[in-house]
Amino acid sequence: MLRFLLHRGGQALIAAFGVVTLVFFIQRLSGDPTALLLPETATQADIEAMRVTLGLDQPIWVQYFDFLWAMAQFDLGRSFVQNTSVWEIILSRVPQTLQLAGGALVVALVVGLPLGLIMALTRGKLVSRFVMGQVLAFQSMPTFWSGIMLILVFGVWLRWLPSSGTGSLAHLIMPSIALGLLSLATYARITRTAVLDELGKDYVRSARARGVGTGRLVRRHLMRNSLIPIISITALELSQLLAGAVIVETVFAWPGLGLLMVQSVAARDFLVVQAVVLLGAFVTIFANLAADILYSIIDPRVRLAGKL
Amino acid sequence: MKHSMKGFLSGIALAVLVTPAIARDITIDLAGEPSSLDPHMQWNPDSYYVYRNVFDNLVTRDNTGKIVPQIATEWEQASDTELTLTIREGVTFHDGSPLTPEDVVFSVKRITDPEFGSPQLGQFNQITDAKVVDGNKVVLTTAGPYPALMAQLVKLSIVPKKVVESVGNEAFNAAPVGSGPYVFDEWKRGVSVTLDQNKDYWGTAGPFEKAIFRAVPDAATRIADLQAGTADLVVSIDADAGAQLKGNAKAKLLSAPTERVGYVGLNLDKPPFNDLEMRKAASLAIDRLGITEGLLQAGEVPMAQMSSPAHFGYAPDIPAFEYDLEKAKSITAANPELAATPAVLATAPVFDQRIVQAVQQMLNDAGFNISISMTDMPTYLGIVRSDPAENSELSFGRWSCACQDADGIAYPTLHSDSNWSRVNVPEIDTLLEEARVSLDPEVRQAAYTKVHQMVRDNYYLLPMYQAAVLYGAVSDLEFEPTANESMFLNRMSVAQ
Amino acid sequence: MNVRIPKLSTVLSWWPAWLLLALVLCAVFAPWLAPFDPDRQNLLARLKAPGFEARGAIYQLGSDELGRDILSRLIYGARVSILVAVLSVILSGVVGVTVGMAAGYLRGWVETILMRLVDIFLSIPAILLAIITVAVLGPGFINVILVLALTRWPRYARVAYGQTLAIADRPFVTLARSMGASTPRVLAVHILPNIVGPLLVVATLEFGLMVLFEAGLSFLGLGVQPPTASWGSMLSTGRNYVASAWWIATFPGLALFLLVLSANLIGDRLGDRIGKGR
Repeated sequence: MLRFLLHRGGQALIAAFGVVTLVFFIQRLSGDPTALLLPETATQADIEAMRVTLGLDQPIWVQYFDFLWAMAQFDLGRSFVQNTSVWEIILSRVPQTLQLAGGALVVALVVGLPLGLIMALTRGKLVSRFVMGQVLAFQSMPTFWSGIMLILVFGVWLRWLPSSGTGSLAHLIMPSIALGLLSLATYARITRTAVLDELGKDYVRSARARGVGTGRLVRRHLMRNSLIPIISITALELSQLLAGAVIVETVFAWPGLGLLMVQSVAARDFLVVQAVVLLGAFVTIFANLAADILYSIIDPRVRLAGKL
Repeated sequence: MKHSMKGFLSGIALAVLVTPAIARDITIDLAGEPSSLDPHMQWNPDSYYVYRNVFDNLVTRDNTGKIVPQIATEWEQASDTELTLTIREGVTFHDGSPLTPEDVVFSVKRITDPEFGSPQLGQFNQITDAKVVDGNKVVLTTAGPYPALMAQLVKLSIVPKKVVESVGNEAFNAAPVGSGPYVFDEWKRGVSVTLDQNKDYWGTAGPFEKAIFRAVPDAATRIADLQAGTADLVVSIDADAGAQLKGNAKAKLLSAPTERVGYVGLNLDKPPFNDLEMRKAASLAIDRLGITEGLLQAGEVPMAQMSSPAHFGYAPDIPAFEYDLEKAKSITAANPELAATPAVLATAPVFDQRIVQAVQQMLNDAGFNISISMTDMPTYLGIVRSDPAENSELSFGRWSCACQDADGIAYPTLHSDSNWSRVNVPEIDTLLEEARVSLDPEVRQAAYTKVHQMVRDNYYLLPMYQAAVLYGAVSDLEFEPTANESMFLNRMSVAQ
Repeated sequence: MNVRIPKLSTVLSWWPAWLLLALVLCAVFAPWLAPFDPDRQNLLARLKAPGFEARGAIYQLGSDELGRDILSRLIYGARVSILVAVLSVILSGVVGVTVGMAAGYLRGWVETILMRLVDIFLSIPAILLAIITVAVLGPGFINVILVLALTRWPRYARVAYGQTLAIADRPFVTLARSMGASTPRVLAVHILPNIVGPLLVVATLEFGLMVLFEAGLSFLGLGVQPPTASWGSMLSTGRNYVASAWWIATFPGLALFLLVLSANLIGDRLGDRIGKGR
């Protein structure tokens, strides 16, 4: 196990390094931020001066090694646009991102698990199909649309919830729903499959034969045994939620890392983008690692070293 | 049913939310977070909407656009290159220390120091020296005669020397100290900036106890916030978005023409628009009035020159562009192959896509072959500022120098030195340079009039319209938008 | 002669497939179906409600913010939305499946390199790839497909890899190898047909996702170039007009919803048949 961890951890680090290198170079292919930083009346000389100030006049490989050296010292640099430490900017966004991802996960779990269970228990019946149709329907709308509709209905028309922004639990509800609906179908499906697998097992059959009721069966056996695949998929979904919240954050003015990244890419604020990507890469890679370990616990047939 | 229900519910909400006190807070939805609260750093609307309320400027413009005293109470052109300003006494910074002429000198030197690296350096680098004389006066020296100096000083915020020097630039940006009508309270990164009223302000501080500036990137959400009553004032909306507020008794639209001019830039080095007749046909094909009255509908005015009535140097006698599709067609019909040369119209998402698409359609109706290329802002800037050979054939742009002087708009878009300009006409260059250094308003006006006429006659680029700024506001907020798009809280009021 | 006529209820139960087919036909025959040129503007007939009549022409589903006929844009928009999704699914599928099978069959260092590459691509945010692709290659229809393919191929790679691993040691594969079949031949003839089922399920679900992704790119200003209509771009414009002109968003929204929903339902159904869901 330890060897496996070291092996995979090492590979994960190499992958993270690859991500950062790739992002470093492709970003610089896409132009630089000076023209955006300066007022419209800036001359070419002003632009050159700004490039020197930002260190963008250096050859790209010099910039790259400077960057690696800074990385090695955990120095993420300063934002070109906000003129503040990138650490500070990133850290200020992390809590919001965790809140939103957590909220979305809760929505997906709280709604997805029971629906999956219902689908498994009513397999082959019309109910099952109807529920599946509902679940898929939730997933068939672009978030920029479902988001604004939520705002108009619950924020403007009914005034039950604040229309945008952060600050309270009430603010978290609509963005969590908008984001959570996307993962809901995944959870419902996984749950259904897991429960169906369990239903086919001998202990369930014998329990049924002993006359154990469905409710008790679900409570005592099914949910617990089906939980492992659900937990392992959560690791993957979580990394998706952290990265995939761009549109939800834009619509709800939710200041998370997704929104920060979109705005930083648009402003060519290279160092901020690099830092967000690096953070995302670590989360994704280690979530995958965690998922793999969980898989191996559930199913010892999966050879650890071979699985991705 | 739906409406009465809504009215009923909002009635309840109103009864709950409205507080009897006259003094109240204001929540303003901006499109983005301020990049900086240090007024000598970042220059973009989302930043200056906020910091202009924290800092006083050397001078300011009143709502009619006239330059009036703020920190400088009077000023005098001592010589061609020297301006003497008298500094207001009795002004204190938010930390209680008095604002002195030394602070003014410090502010000038700070923003003009190349080491400091202010993005606004280009607006102030004509100033070569600043010193205190006679105890309460400051003399500014410029490199040469510089008629736009006063217009630039409207944007020069005064920062406290002692505070900046003791805390350093970074801490100052995080917690700015100014002398303006509102005191910095809190900056929640990515969320909002909160300001408190300055009870000791030397002038009018305005009606708000607290001002909260929030970053709300989606225009539809900003409108929803206004409808829901969670925002009092929203910026960056267009008239179509504003139409969502129709029938809402609690919200209204405020608009004013600005010093921003929308134009279509032409690449004079590439076919088809290296040909005068083709440029003329293009101009004839564009229905400017149709665009301003039929499409934009927020008070935009068609323009035939690179300036607006809000600028010094505007020439009221320049005739409007003619719209005549048939004439345009007959010109392109004479040389259909040239007209059909594939041409790209460069644009970015920040510009109004309705105009860009309308212009494309109008040009194609006249026999041109235009396609739109929309890229993100840095890419767009890269394209429009590149060499003519790599440049797109057409570009849409909107220009404002926030100085209300033709020097700030005609020079960068028409002078051959500027990398924005694709015009290379020695006579225009000479006239623009003459106007840039002359202190005689009549000489300057004559030069600009000539430039405008030459642009009008030769269609070097196609001015389109004077843009309007549109705000959505709660109905009891009184606020007169200005041409330089500044948003001073202390000029707002609340109707009783 | 033994033609089995399927039961009506069976035919009806596959309604998502019929709906999808109808939308595809709509896209194919757009020029014959659309009453007007979809890009034709009329600034005098902006934001008109469904049924509005101008100069003898009727806007059946109303007009948009530039006075264009919504119905015609809807019909032409089907082309863009469906074609973008189909082509990006094909492109990402081909790349991803090739990479996944190669990694799963060859193992060793090929596996390590390819699967780490998959990890790397999975951790680069799609939006970053999108903006940079547009910045470097310029905007346009082809590049939207490229962006989508670039961000989605790892998904197929993972599935193909897992499936290949599971059957690479089966007797029929070992037999083929011992009889001297080349690697590409083993992959194409012996492995691919046996793993195509789950991949098809993934592709169907991805199709729906691609339609939504294209819409998302339009929302962020990185989609197909104006004035070309796609359902995503129409919907993302229309959301600014919900109160004043509901028809701009409603019709493309409905079309998009039905398209994605039917793809999802078909994918789900296929998944059930094959016995392997997501």
